[in-house]
Amino acid sequence: MSQPVLGAPLDRVEGPGKVTGRIAYTADNDIPGMVHAVVVESTIANGRIAAIDESAARSAPGVIAIMTPRNAPRVDARKVDANDSLLFLLQGDAVEFDRQPVAVAIAETFEQATYAARLVRVRYDVRPPTTALASGERFLPDQIFGKPAQHKRGMPEDAFARAAVTLKQTYRTPTEHHNPMETHATIAQWTGDRLTIYDATQWVFGVQHRLAATFGIDPKAIRVVAPFVGGAFGCKGQTWSHVPLAAMAARLAGRPVKLVVTRPQMFGWVGHRPQTEQVVGLGAARDGTLAAVTHDVLSETSMSDEFVEPSVVFSRDLYAVPNYAMSDTLSRLNISKPTYQRGPGESTGSFAMESAMDELSYALGIDPLELRLRNYSANDPDSGKPYSSKRLRECYAAAAAQFGWSARNPKVRSTSRGRMLVGSGMATASRATHRSPCTVRMRMNADGNVLVQCGTIEQGTGTPTVYPQLAAEILEIPPERVRFEFGNTDLPAAPIAAGSQTSGSVGSAVVVAARRMRELLVSHDGKPPADGFEVELEDSPPPEEAEHATQAFGAHFAEVEVDPDLGTVRVTRFVGAFDGGRILNAKTARSQMLGGIVWGISMALFEDTRYDARSGRIMNANLSEYLVPTNADIPDVEVILIAGDDPFANPAGAKGIGEVGICGSAAAVANAVYHATGIRIRDLPITPDKLIR
Amino acid sequence: MKPAPFDYYCPRSLDEALALLAQYGDEAKVLAGGQSLVPAMNMRLARPGVIVDVNRLPEAAVIERCDGSLRVGMLARQADLERMPVALDAVPLLAQALPHVGHWQTRNRGTVCGSLAHADPSAELPLAIVVLDGAIEARSSARGTRWIAAGQFFESYFQTALQNDEIVVGASFPARREGWGYAFEEFAGRHGDFAIVAVACAVALEPNGVASEVRLGLGGVADKPHLAPLTAYCGRVLSQRDLPEIANAAVADIEPPSDLRGSARYRRALATNLAQRALTRALASARTACDGLAQ
Amino acid sequence: MARTSLSAVALQLSGSGAAVSEPAGPASATATPTFVLDVNGREHQLTVDARVTLLDALRDRLGLTGTKKGCDQGTCGACTVLVNGRRIDSCLTLAVMHEGDRVTTIEGLASGEQLHPIQAAFIKNDAFQCGYCTPGQLMSAVGMVNEGHAIDRNTVREQMSGNICRCGCYPHIVDAVLDWKGRS
Repeated sequence: MSQPVLGAPLDRVEGPGKVTGRIAYTADNDIPGMVHAVVVESTIANGRIAAIDESAARSAPGVIAIMTPRNAPRVDARKVDANDSLLFLLQGDAVEFDRQPVAVAIAETFEQATYAARLVRVRYDVRPPTTALASGERFLPDQIFGKPAQHKRGMPEDAFARAAVTLKQTYRTPTEHHNPMETHATIAQWTGDRLTIYDATQWVFGVQHRLAATFGIDPKAIRVVAPFVGGAFGCKGQTWSHVPLAAMAARLAGRPVKLVVTRPQMFGWVGHRPQTEQVVGLGAARDGTLAAVTHDVLSETSMSDEFVEPSVVFSRDLYAVPNYAMSDTLSRLNISKPTYQRGPGESTGSFAMESAMDELSYALGIDPLELRLRNYSANDPDSGKPYSSKRLRECYAAAAAQFGWSARNPKVRSTSRGRMLVGSGMATASRATHRSPCTVRMRMNADGNVLVQCGTIEQGTGTPTVYPQLAAEILEIPPERVRFEFGNTDLPAAPIAAGSQTSGSVGSAVVVAARRMRELLVSHDGKPPADGFEVELEDSPPPEEAEHATQAFGAHFAEVEVDPDLGTVRVTRFVGAFDGGRILNAKTARSQMLGGIVWGISMALFEDTRYDARSGRIMNANLSEYLVPTNADIPDVEVILIAGDDPFANPAGAKGIGEVGICGSAAAVANAVYHATGIRIRDLPITPDKLIR
Repeated sequence: MKPAPFDYYCPRSLDEALALLAQYGDEAKVLAGGQSLVPAMNMRLARPGVIVDVNRLPEAAVIERCDGSLRVGMLARQADLERMPVALDAVPLLAQALPHVGHWQTRNRGTVCGSLAHADPSAELPLAIVVLDGAIEARSSARGTRWIAAGQFFESYFQTALQNDEIVVGASFPARREGWGYAFEEFAGRHGDFAIVAVACAVALEPNGVASEVRLGLGGVADKPHLAPLTAYCGRVLSQRDLPEIANAAVADIEPPSDLRGSARYRRALATNLAQRALTRALASARTACDGLAQ
Repeated sequence: MARTSLSAVALQLSGSGAAVSEPAGPASATATPTFVLDVNGREHQLTVDARVTLLDALRDRLGLTGTKKGCDQGTCGACTVLVNGRRIDSCLTLAVMHEGDRVTTIEGLASGEQLHPIQAAFIKNDAFQCGYCTPGQLMSAVGMVNEGHAIDRNTVREQMSGNICRCGCYPHIVDAVLDWKGRS
């Protein structure tokens, strides 16, 4: 049976719980006897702890214990696999970044613990830190997600040398912190050797396995609970140091412990998008056909870990370029370990590549959209595989028409509105979709009501709404008769809710289970027996799925107004059209695309973590100086869904939609700023001072 | 974050509050709206041992016009003024400045007098009262009441002429006068943020078009509101052509800081531009006021 | 010129400056005052550390966890509640300062199972994703309407700018407020 490609725009089923405040996020839970832990973080970025004097803290009212490297339980802080991170669990005295955990204060109340944390006196042997990208020790990592750090196709050097027109520019993107509105939080409770953890995480099973390794206990002895997560965007994908620290504190206190990471600590040990310096070279014929692309990326990593921001993915996998070369170099700095942030790779890579394409369009006098169309690729240019589906042309056409692109005067600094300079710019969006093994259990009761169970989480993506909707469609029953249970490790194992793979993974498992359930139903003449049916299966991508490349696509069009005297930029209009394959719920999908675009505008104009060069400390570790947009900074955004089935992507027919919106949107804004002003900004964010010359 | 423990007093009369300040001196802090003090205590920038919560003092939220001024009592919230059209009409510069002060959530709680006493050099209300040449009423149990001219009140970053035993009990903002025009301009990185640069301007024209007073103040460029010396431009007929020169003169002796929110160079450029905008608007509104007078 | 046009409005404003009742709060020193807090029409007697913010009192002492902590620094609006009908950041004020005030939190917005129209409008317009900032957005929207602003798109954008939504639902939040109250 063929499914409609646009899922009904049903309201979120958890909506009433969210608008009444009844839904509990991690820190909203209360456990009898629970006490509070507050992390003391380092105030230096490089050196050693020389001495800790916790006497004043220990004698403060309400204090139960002060955990320092001296009395912290011995645990295993090493990473469990290549994607994991070394944790900072008070096992030694080395300090390698600003705001590294160095002690934990545990007290009866939050106020007492916070005050005690402030009384812990730490003396350091300070060494000069390195936080500038240019100054770190450089090296090529062994691999980037299983691929080499340098890669080539065709003869890029020759093609570049022979090209009629060449362009080589350096683009920079800054360190950015995720800052979901819910800060990280963990509640830990030991019952004998069994551990219960409430945690703000994108992956309960990841936390379970990490803690099992850290404490050397059986994963089955650990229960992790995280139904509702107050935003994550990648930073809640890893198990960071405070999670085991909460469990260690609970062991030391002999009581359940709540540990909530403060907003300034969100700039500490919980990950960030690394800064990048990207050199993009384009060699093209006069008609705009690309002959060669080179993309060399320098990005930051921490002293004891490796994380590569895979910016090159965007340039490698999008346009029909016969000759291509890329490299990824890392620079070791006194910073915490970078991590995935919404659209890792493509978000930063698209800023560089789509800015360069814009520059090429002006150099050649070809319309920016036309230049993209001339380099349209029917197949994945790197692997040569066909795409599972690609409706990028339709995205370009729909968004351009809605935006009124054809009416644009191509000349820079040609349009004004009163005192303001007006410009418009566009960029392509592209983001790979993945699928991982996922297990679901599906039960149909005698009354025909269905329960679907899977240990994924809800972080705003519509989990409790869209998967019942998907099952209901196949079972041909109203969606309100399907309930989705999620958010803890007692349930069947789900992959991490990240990397544009949840629709493809959880969605596919739900589809496969629902199809089997329907067969059962048909074989029972459409009526379940008295004890109902149960289907439990692990769904994995079959080998033939690798015959296709699966990517979500889109097109961004932005209009900006620039104040020529003050340099302020306002995005006044934004249109995005997206090919996300089959859309499970048009309402929640639209919101995710909108969110991605807002992130792109934010990346273009606001976000920038600043380090003090001398101390290596972050200077804007709060939401008044680390700028994210407010309501007044965001215009009306039009999101167009170019929906269509994708029979080769996965059984759900869905491509990831949570990240494609940020890929390319910052470049569209930067390109619009160029069109308005004639000033090309190659280092984000585009702050007013860069436009005042 | 949480402050160190403190003793909390909630006096029911001004005399009682003043007695507490006299007793505890610099150990005590007055808590009114708390929008600056509470975060400062949380960040340990302020560590008072004694908090004197003045929110229960009777009569202290009064806003009234008397003798050509708008008098704002110590507990009048910023939003109280903002929702009172007659008050905004009386002091147009305040009407323009108030929407830039934080957000509604903070203005509903933050007091006008508290903002003055806090003396943040990039805050809007200190700048406005300096440009208007208003005054601050301070009271202590030992010395009673004294009025401090706004120009003398602000001394440096978060430093005022207030003594440890004094409370700001009110502030007086000179009301709109005949022939005057006012303008407030501000640039912040994002809506509701602290100003990177703010400019307040008041211009007075004689019926014959001669400028009798040109007052222009800059916020965010020094350790306190900076009043530009522009007396040289008084006693002349000013045209639009003169304004770039006046704006340049207004910023001639500032040495703005460089920080995360803007370099010194950018602040200077901003200040010049905003000064010119403010002068243009203030002059236009003064002309309208004069025309109204002539008719 | 003595007390002229404004003399009629020599107001004693109804903020917390004018005590609604005569509270029994401490006139003498204490680090752990005892006081009564009126939240959503119910009176609660509290004896807490004077350092406890209104936000932490609501969440940790009264179990009203619908009000969220996003920054604890007055920069994000997630903790917005109404005090005597006006929106404030509950993290920037001490609980003890609010004896005699009427505090309204997200738990007091609906009437039993009947959602307040702004809550229904948020659901219909998908004005949230993760939902964490939502209680603050809703209380801020109600406070904004109490303030009597014109309800048009630009005003709503400006007046709702004290509440950060990291999921980026802003245009849908504006839609929801207009759907509830205004015309675009």
